[in-house]
Amino acid sequence: MIAIIGLVVGVVLGLFLTPDVPLSLEPYLPIAVVAALDAVFGAFRAFLDGIFDDKVFVISFISNVLIAAMIVFLGDKLGVGAQLSTGVVVVLGIRIFSNVAAIRRHIFHA
Amino acid sequence: MGLLDYLTTHAMDEDYQFVSERRQTREEPEPRSRARIGVVGALVMALFAALVVTAAVQTSRNSVSNERQRRELVGQVDQARAQVDGDRSRLVSLTREVRRLQTQQLNNDTTAQGTLDTLRLLGLKAGTVPVRGPGVRVVADDAPGADSARNEVLDSDLQKLVNGLWEAGAEAISINGQRLTNLSTIRLAGGAITVNARSLRRPYVISAIGNKDTLPARFAETSSGQAWLDLQREVGLRLQISPVSSLRIPAAEVSLRYANQKKPGGVS
Repeated sequence: MIAIIGLVVGVVLGLFLTPDVPLSLEPYLPIAVVAALDAVFGAFRAFLDGIFDDKVFVISFISNVLIAAMIVFLGDKLGVGAQLSTGVVVVLGIRIFSNVAAIRRHIFHA
Repeated sequence: MGLLDYLTTHAMDEDYQFVSERRQTREEPEPRSRARIGVVGALVMALFAALVVTAAVQTSRNSVSNERQRRELVGQVDQARAQVDGDRSRLVSLTREVRRLQTQQLNNDTTAQGTLDTLRLLGLKAGTVPVRGPGVRVVADDAPGADSARNEVLDSDLQKLVNGLWEAGAEAISINGQRLTNLSTIRLAGGAITVNARSLRRPYVISAIGNKDTLPARFAETSSGQAWLDLQREVGLRLQISPVSSLRIPAAEVSLRYANQKKPGGVS
């Protein structure tokens, strides 16, 4: 319940404040979102498994976002930013898919 | 273990498992019933939602501004094009007006009649006056199913064609309605042949005023005519010459900015 409240508060904050993303950070925003999505799905799966832990969630969320952004940043500096972000998206995408599959099994018992 | 297998088996962060195992072994007094999401978790969820919304807002804002810029540019291009069209038609009407006034002025003066005739003749020769007369219509086109520059009509082919027609005695020539003057160019620009700085599209219709009976035969005798015969035979370009009893060739817009006529006194 408190998670959904947090979600709603975040949406409202994002919509009303519409924070201006600095131009230098703009390329890393989508990848950060994908990394955050992965962390959230992982947390949800852990929650359903009964092993959810606040501290782990915070750490995995922040480290996921930071590492994904850092990889892309490094790639940009090396001139392979597009390829590296593709790689990050592929890996995170696979993780999201398998996490969602596990969540599905939990919810529908199938 | 393959990379993909590893990814799918370790999809969830191992820390959750690790922490829960450690908690179990230590027999911590925390309730084992069900893991709860605390305030920190909710804060992270809020952060996540804000991140997603910000990214979405940013993307849509960018696309809106891109679209607006594109539309603005298109508007500017349209405006400039309309302006050019307007200027051009104004130029044509002003030229016509000048010619009318000239005729009017000089007609009243019997001594000026000769000047007027000279003027008209010069206009005909320079290509600033439309002409009418018998001649030939030449249609040049790419080979059927042309797919490379080899079997397409090139600027050099058109140049040869026009040269041959001049050589055969043509007195005025236009390509797709573009009158050839002493300032005309026939060249390839951006994949299209341009004449008088206007891009042309195939088929190229060349109107040449001259003796309609002898022009085709004399053209065939010229070296350009021979070259075109080769082109027809070797790469399949199409060329069709047909005599026409009355052709109209429009005037060209010729504007000189630097070339001034020298006055008899030598002062310009």
